[in-house]
Amino acid sequence: MKKIIALLMAMVLVLGLTACGNNAAAPEAPEADAPAADAPAADAPAAGDFKVGAIYINSKNDTAGYTFAHHNGITTAMKELGLNVDTQLVIVDEVPEDKEQVLAAVDTLVGEGANIIFGISFGYIDALEEAAAEYPDVIFSHATGYKSNETNFNNYFGRAYQARYLAGIAAGMKSLEMANNNVGYVAAYGTEYAETASGINGFAMGVLAVNPDATIYVKNLGAWADEVNESAFATELINSYNCGVISQHCDSAQPQIAAENAGVFGCGYNSDMTPDAPKAHLTAAIWNWNVYYRTAMEAAMNCGEAANFVPTMGSGAYYGGLKEGFVDISPLSENCVAGTQEIIDAVKAMMVNGEWDVFSGVKLQIAADGTITKVDAALMDNAGNEIVPAGGASVEDSVITGTMNYFVEGVQVG
Amino acid sequence: MGFHIVKRDNCPIWKKCCFYLAAVVIALLLGALLLVSLGVDPIAYYTRMFTMGTIGNKIAYKVYINYLKEFVPLALTSVALSLAFKMRFWNIGGEGQFILGAIAAAFVAFQAGPVLPNGVTLLLMCLAAMVTAGLYGLFVAALKVRFGTNETLMTLMLNYVALYILIFIGETKAEWNFFLDEASVRPVFASFSKIVSFPTIPMGGKFSLNICVILTVLLGVLVFIYLKYTKHGYEIAVVGDSAGTARYAGMKVNAIVLRTVFLSAALIGLAAAFKVGTAGILSTSITDDVGWTGIIVAWLSQLNTVVIFVVSALICVLHYGSTVAAATFSQVDSSFANMLQGVILFLVLAADFYTRFRVVPFKKGGKDNGNG
Repeated sequence: MKKIIALLMAMVLVLGLTACGNNAAAPEAPEADAPAADAPAADAPAAGDFKVGAIYINSKNDTAGYTFAHHNGITTAMKELGLNVDTQLVIVDEVPEDKEQVLAAVDTLVGEGANIIFGISFGYIDALEEAAAEYPDVIFSHATGYKSNETNFNNYFGRAYQARYLAGIAAGMKSLEMANNNVGYVAAYGTEYAETASGINGFAMGVLAVNPDATIYVKNLGAWADEVNESAFATELINSYNCGVISQHCDSAQPQIAAENAGVFGCGYNSDMTPDAPKAHLTAAIWNWNVYYRTAMEAAMNCGEAANFVPTMGSGAYYGGLKEGFVDISPLSENCVAGTQEIIDAVKAMMVNGEWDVFSGVKLQIAADGTITKVDAALMDNAGNEIVPAGGASVEDSVITGTMNYFVEGVQVG
Repeated sequence: MGFHIVKRDNCPIWKKCCFYLAAVVIALLLGALLLVSLGVDPIAYYTRMFTMGTIGNKIAYKVYINYLKEFVPLALTSVALSLAFKMRFWNIGGEGQFILGAIAAAFVAFQAGPVLPNGVTLLLMCLAAMVTAGLYGLFVAALKVRFGTNETLMTLMLNYVALYILIFIGETKAEWNFFLDEASVRPVFASFSKIVSFPTIPMGGKFSLNICVILTVLLGVLVFIYLKYTKHGYEIAVVGDSAGTARYAGMKVNAIVLRTVFLSAALIGLAAAFKVGTAGILSTSITDDVGWTGIIVAWLSQLNTVVIFVVSALICVLHYGSTVAAATFSQVDSSFANMLQGVILFLVLAADFYTRFRVVPFKKGGKDNGNG
């Protein structure tokens, strides 16, 4: 026994000594690294000591899902800008939506010298607002939120409904081909969140532009991710509502897999789900988070001091869409009806050049031969209330501020 | 070759310390092995972890403030749990008691905060939290005393009841629900930090000491005295050793159980009041798992009040330090702390075994049958 203790004591000593040795060497390490980090970003003078901070809701080592999509976006943007992901990115992950814990994460990142801090979860909103006031020299940027200030705090989100509309067109074409007017939608939430409501509405209006007789049946999961029910709800939409196309707003590809197993079709979300359900998947509405992250990082590096960030970005709310490439649809699969691509390209072009948008008083009517006609028609909710009068302007503000709490006509809760 | 296990008569304290130290060192070495396999320099990682990133940090004072915010609820909850554990009442309902205490404290903050002076509100928050959490614990104790129910299961289940009450409050936008922020369309907890919060004492520089830290240390001293030098403390120890003996000695065992469990749960409620009164807001992760971690701390400390403070302090270094260290090492996420903590607990419990027993080898086929 004494021998073992002696051995362990020796180990402690060795560990202690090496730790001391490292302590002495530590301060030199960053200096040695610095020139190497500077070299690839010679065109951006501030790039060498620019630091990006991020606060994630899940693990940064995730391989799928929401946190993964953001992490991928941040690292892609950094690589594009010649920033070193290993030395210039600091992350506090697995931070719940708890103000104290978010503020502690901010302190850690500011302590590490972060110049811009991204918070990816909605519930960080108040903590980030407070942090922006406490640290005026640091930029704070909040995904899916709606708060901002005039200087160093903005929010960002995208017009996912535009991509949803395009996916809806593909679904509508398919429903015509199948002669089945029932379309299903497995959603995380319904009208409680503008994010889900606008996605459902955008998709429904895309379907209805092609197939005015269609009905979109929505089933509500009550959770952002729930693989078991995602599959079960899709199956129920297919069996009980006879749906021929299944769209989704949830984390996994389960609804698409359920559609494939039932021999029907589907539209995914977040990533191209054709590999998951090759016989069923049509196209997915996707996010290109790197588009925003690159824009924000460039603004942060070039705006001088943090207070100039919001003026440089032009506004406290970044709300990119198809035009910026922030949202898009994945390449159409072979399951799509012939001619879908041409129609989608034409409609996409109308949104990209700002000629038309989804939630306005103008509707598109898309004929089977591909002719697109613009018609003045009021935007109505499914209870018969007029939201936008015929010919009126888009309601996009309500998607940003989170007040879209209705379904458009054609949507039914299943 | 075989072996048998022999009870140690008396393990000297220095030997015990060596065992525990060895357990921690082995745990750290195992962690280092894992870090190496992830391609991380373990020495650099541990250096950052144990210094909590304060080296070269221009806002190091923030680290100390945040560290103490983690330390206070954990230390107080662990002390509170040790009270019940001493009596062999397995209160694993710390989470639930903490949550109900937090809700009660927030309730008082919203209702009384705007009309009463800060000090009075804080006092009422503490009292409300203590009574609510205390009654939640007392309920289980009463069932055990009256019907002989299993307190481990009961307290465990009630954790989830409390958690779902909190989630319900957090997700239900309604006229009555003053816990939520009215200005937000989505349900978000409202902050009351502008209405009421625990005062802090400036300590020079930018660091200021929250009064809850002082109160916690004070309470620790009181509990130490209570357990060691009072009649109540003696009764708890006797009931813990043998309820039958206690009864034979004329002690009212049921009353002692009820009283002690109430006190244990009430102190957890107080920890919640400290936490909520400092944060100024509720959250569904308000407990930060102290109800669970507190059990680990109490056991690692062998229910010794003084040691609990030391172990809480070290566990918080591990936790806070791991988060800070993980921030700069892309391969390691914040869960590493949990893993390390698990390994340390496992090995310390193993070491604990060796402080009480010896493993003696013997040759098979010999005449010695192991019975001495």
